[in-house]
Amino acid sequence: MSVVTVFFPSVLHAKVGQQAAVTVKGHTVREVIDALEDDFPGLRFHLCYETGELRPFVNIFVQRINIRSLQGLETPVPPGAKLQILPSVAGG
Amino acid sequence: MSAAQHSYPPGTVMLALGTKRGLFLVTSQDRVHWDVQATTLQGRRVFNAILDQRAGRRLFAAENGDFFGAFLRYSDDFGQTWQEPKRGIQFPPDSRLKLQNIWVVEPGRQDEPDIVYAGVDPASLWVSADRGETWEPNHALLSHPTRDRWEPGAGGLCLHTIIADPTNPLRMWIGISAVGCLRTDDGGQSWVFANKNTRADFLPERYPEFGQCIHRLVQHPTRPEVLYQQNHCGIYKSLNAGEEWQDIQQNLPSEFGFPIALDRQHPDTLYVMVEDPQGRHNIGSQLTVYRTTNAGESWEPLTKGLPSGTQVKLGVLRHGLCTDGKDPCGVYVGTNTGQLFASSDGGERWELITDFLPPIYSVTATILGEA
Repeated sequence: MSVVTVFFPSVLHAKVGQQAAVTVKGHTVREVIDALEDDFPGLRFHLCYETGELRPFVNIFVQRINIRSLQGLETPVPPGAKLQILPSVAGG
Repeated sequence: MSAAQHSYPPGTVMLALGTKRGLFLVTSQDRVHWDVQATTLQGRRVFNAILDQRAGRRLFAAENGDFFGAFLRYSDDFGQTWQEPKRGIQFPPDSRLKLQNIWVVEPGRQDEPDIVYAGVDPASLWVSADRGETWEPNHALLSHPTRDRWEPGAGGLCLHTIIADPTNPLRMWIGISAVGCLRTDDGGQSWVFANKNTRADFLPERYPEFGQCIHRLVQHPTRPEVLYQQNHCGIYKSLNAGEEWQDIQQNLPSEFGFPIALDRQHPDTLYVMVEDPQGRHNIGSQLTVYRTTNAGESWEPLTKGLPSGTQVKLGVLRHGLCTDGKDPCGVYVGTNTGQLFASSDGGERWELITDFLPPIYSVTATILGEA
């Protein structure tokens, strides 16, 4: 299983123990989110709706590519990958 | 000095202002001098907030983030620190529903101090039996047989008003836009519509069973069968728990408005702020609060101290008007352009308490030391 590093925006640091980045395991973005939920209960709801669907203004990048242009939450994450979670640009 | 570092003696009037960019507390000991403090809940949309004093002092806030979801948070230190529920408002995954916004939080009855209610979009009623730490949906409303025919208003399919009858533990009313008023008489096991004689001028059928756009609902404090509502299409009164309604627009210059509030010490006195239905601001060039002192027989405009001029185009949202329960009644108006007006004499004279706030979504008043 891949070990990846997930970087968070400052507004979510409090949800992950005041850290800017954490390391978790997973083969896909969905598995990474599942692993994050195990480590930080309640985090998933900040990223996804109850249905499991990614919130519309939450963007996840795998190796700098937005997963919406890849395979969404099923996007594979290679070992050592860097994932960035960023809110959409606001205001225009 | 932060809100939490203030000492608030008993009798302090505390206004909780939910705004487009955070929660503010506005306090006064004499309703003449006011102090405005920002809580640490900033930068996010707070649709509604209320201080619950039934068991300690717990401040609830309906925070609707632009990016990372909606949460009904609570604070036990006047907004300095906030807790997220252990099990928050989240629909069961198999319901296929997605929480959009939390619209209202309402403490339950006095004799059930652990009960708190919340109303959200998509329209559903949520109940906490542990002062907001865990939440469960009301399943009868989620599975209401007409639900697939409910249509949202412009603000979404929102449940925005909750009244738990203080005299009957099995009876409640809720308001949903644009579904109407519903009542339960069996503790939430079933819900019936309570919209007879209220109009839906925007639908092919003018008096449907449901589909009305109720904007706000209040209950008479000593005659529990008496209700008043401001609707998209009129102002109404019910003398029989919502079985039927009568139009009490009378001499008001518009049928359209959002908020309605009641003087609990003189409950035949109510306040509304009807608006231009197109522009959704005050009618003409004068911001006006309208008052009835005879339970809707007639209305009088209250303007002394409120702004006027061709540039005055102020709107007040459904939770933007409230009273404080004192005698004479304090009345508070928060505008969607960030002004807060207050009257300490039942609306006779008004003062601008503060300006330049973010757009105000809600104002609730609590007198510290009084539940």
